[in-house]
Amino acid sequence: MSRRLLAAGFSRRQILQAGLMAGGAMLSASSWQRAQAQVNTKKIGYIYVGPQSDYGYNYSMDLGRQYVEKTLGVETTYFDNIPESAEVERVMERLIRDDHGIIFATSYGYLDHAITVGQKYPEVSFLHAGGLKLGANVGTYWADSDDAIYLAGMVAGSLSKTGKLGFLGAFQIPQVLRTINAFTMGAQSINPEATTTVVWTGAWLDPPKEAEVANALLDGGADVLAGQVDSPLTFAQTAERRGAYVVGKDVNVTEFAPKAWLTGASWNWGPMMVDLVKQIQGDTWKPEFVRGTLKGGDVVLDPFGPAVPSDVQAKVMAVKEQILSGAKVVWSGPILKQDGSEVVASGVKLPMETLESMNFLVKGVIGSAS
Amino acid sequence: MLGHSLGVGAAFVIPSLMPFRRRWRSLGVVLVVAVALLVSAPPEMTSGWLWATLRSASPILFVVVGETLTQLTGVINLGVEGQMLLGACVGFAVTVISQNPWLGLLAGSLAGLALSSLHMLLCVGLRTNAIASGVAVWVLGSGLSAYWGRAYVGQKISGLGAVVGELTPTILLSLLLVPVIGVLVYGTHTGLIWRAVGESIPASRSMGIRPWWVQMQGIGIGGLLSGLGGAALSVDYTLTWAENMTAGRGLVAVGLVIVARWNPFWACPAALLFGGSEALYLRLQSMGVEVSSYLLATLPYLLSLAVLVVSSATAQRGGMPQGLKGVFGSTG
Repeated sequence: MSRRLLAAGFSRRQILQAGLMAGGAMLSASSWQRAQAQVNTKKIGYIYVGPQSDYGYNYSMDLGRQYVEKTLGVETTYFDNIPESAEVERVMERLIRDDHGIIFATSYGYLDHAITVGQKYPEVSFLHAGGLKLGANVGTYWADSDDAIYLAGMVAGSLSKTGKLGFLGAFQIPQVLRTINAFTMGAQSINPEATTTVVWTGAWLDPPKEAEVANALLDGGADVLAGQVDSPLTFAQTAERRGAYVVGKDVNVTEFAPKAWLTGASWNWGPMMVDLVKQIQGDTWKPEFVRGTLKGGDVVLDPFGPAVPSDVQAKVMAVKEQILSGAKVVWSGPILKQDGSEVVASGVKLPMETLESMNFLVKGVIGSAS
Repeated sequence: MLGHSLGVGAAFVIPSLMPFRRRWRSLGVVLVVAVALLVSAPPEMTSGWLWATLRSASPILFVVVGETLTQLTGVINLGVEGQMLLGACVGFAVTVISQNPWLGLLAGSLAGLALSSLHMLLCVGLRTNAIASGVAVWVLGSGLSAYWGRAYVGQKISGLGAVVGELTPTILLSLLLVPVIGVLVYGTHTGLIWRAVGESIPASRSMGIRPWWVQMQGIGIGGLLSGLGGAALSVDYTLTWAENMTAGRGLVAVGLVIVARWNPFWACPAALLFGGSEALYLRLQSMGVEVSSYLLATLPYLLSLAVLVVSSATAQRGGMPQGLKGVFGSTG
């Protein structure tokens, strides 16, 4: 080896120097390891893609932050409106320089940036919302709201007189398609003729457009609105004004639509976040895919509104018990696509990969999946 | 449905085929067709769409009319997006505090005016580049509204209610504003002075006009109206404040000024065309049309662009104030 290096024109001194430098690098690596033990896990940073106070997805993450702060007595810092670009790496480095030992990267597009920054700072722990990749110090956490939105769909199917449900979707991504399909299947379990009309707004947060979509859906005969945009606030208020019903998502907005409110599927990130932070503080954490459920309490079926009769409540709660006990699986066949083709046959469970990369809408959904 | 769609189409096409100087007649045609469509009690879906058109067009219409006035005096203000946001935020906040939506609209307008005074100072007073100054105002407005508005997210307000059917006061106000500003621009001495400044600053100066004062008026009224448009969005239309809720509508309005050929009368059909096609593409989806939602979403922009191309090709003159030609340098 060194003969070949000598032959390549390197002097002995140069080789010696390179060897010393490599040794130095190894030394500094071990000093990194020492720093790792000293990292401050009592300072936790949170990064949001939208406004912290959006009464939607980002707000749900912030409720988790507040819960962590209250439960564990740690110090937290948040940055909101951080785009999913190199900008987020800058924010992460800023948090790390300011002695934050744990960082929650709460937006889907932050994943690669968290992994990049994580390689640079192996002593810091990163927790990413919903990612499908891991790093040496980057774990992901998420909760599946399908079960809860299926139950909410049952309520919608029971209360709708026209059998037409309206849904506001932001983008055609798997998480939103899953919500629409689970919601529709829940409604169809009560009323097999029920249909869900989807209108895509093409934005996570555009209240004027959301109001217009809600009006369009109601004009078209829908009498229950549901949706997955940044916040259910606008379409819930529109439903309230127009005397229709609403099913919420992400955050409970009952107080803004007291008459229209049926129920909803809300996040409850607090306990999961506390658990992860405790593991990191106790040095028992290792990066993995943490996925919460209705059963674990990470997703909540919101309290029913006054419009929901007690027999409907009882029926829905009975199915909820079946889901919790494992007797009922939402994603079990027969599941048909919009065109009637079969995804899985009767009694067969939908495979995990199909679920996580869902790209179709089920039969009874009106709207385009692409 | 088809008949009414054709009717609405005719309302836009017929006037655009008429020569520029017959603007009074073309305005009449637009009004007659619009009223006929509204009165003829069309099927449920179509009437829903017409109301939706008015709802989504009216906040933009305020801004288009205001920016038209600004640009007629020979200055461009890209800050309207930020002024709209600040108007929406302040208008909503004042409505929450005072429980009076009218006070909210007033406060929103004044907020737009206040922010536009920065553009006056930078662009007219200090003669900085109008584009750069406008962008600065835009960024400042979006930052200030995000900062101040935080406390008001999720607050509840009661709106203005409707005058007739689904016609809200701000829709009515925006429609009435068009002839008022139109007459002001083309029928009064003040309007003549404004247009003179927009055409040539040296010539107007030699006539004893103070161009800087006229341009400040133009920017100020533009600021007032963009603030009002923003407040209409939050106080009357959505009854919500959300950060960055205008989502580019201010910039669309600047584009529509060009589509409307710097004519306040044309601002109305231009805003209706945009609002109408936005409402239409969302409604086509709700009717289950089998077209990609991404393609449908381009409809408002494609239609506006098509009108721009057609009107540029048919009109004898562009309608652009001569002073704007130098806007990329500086103003006077």
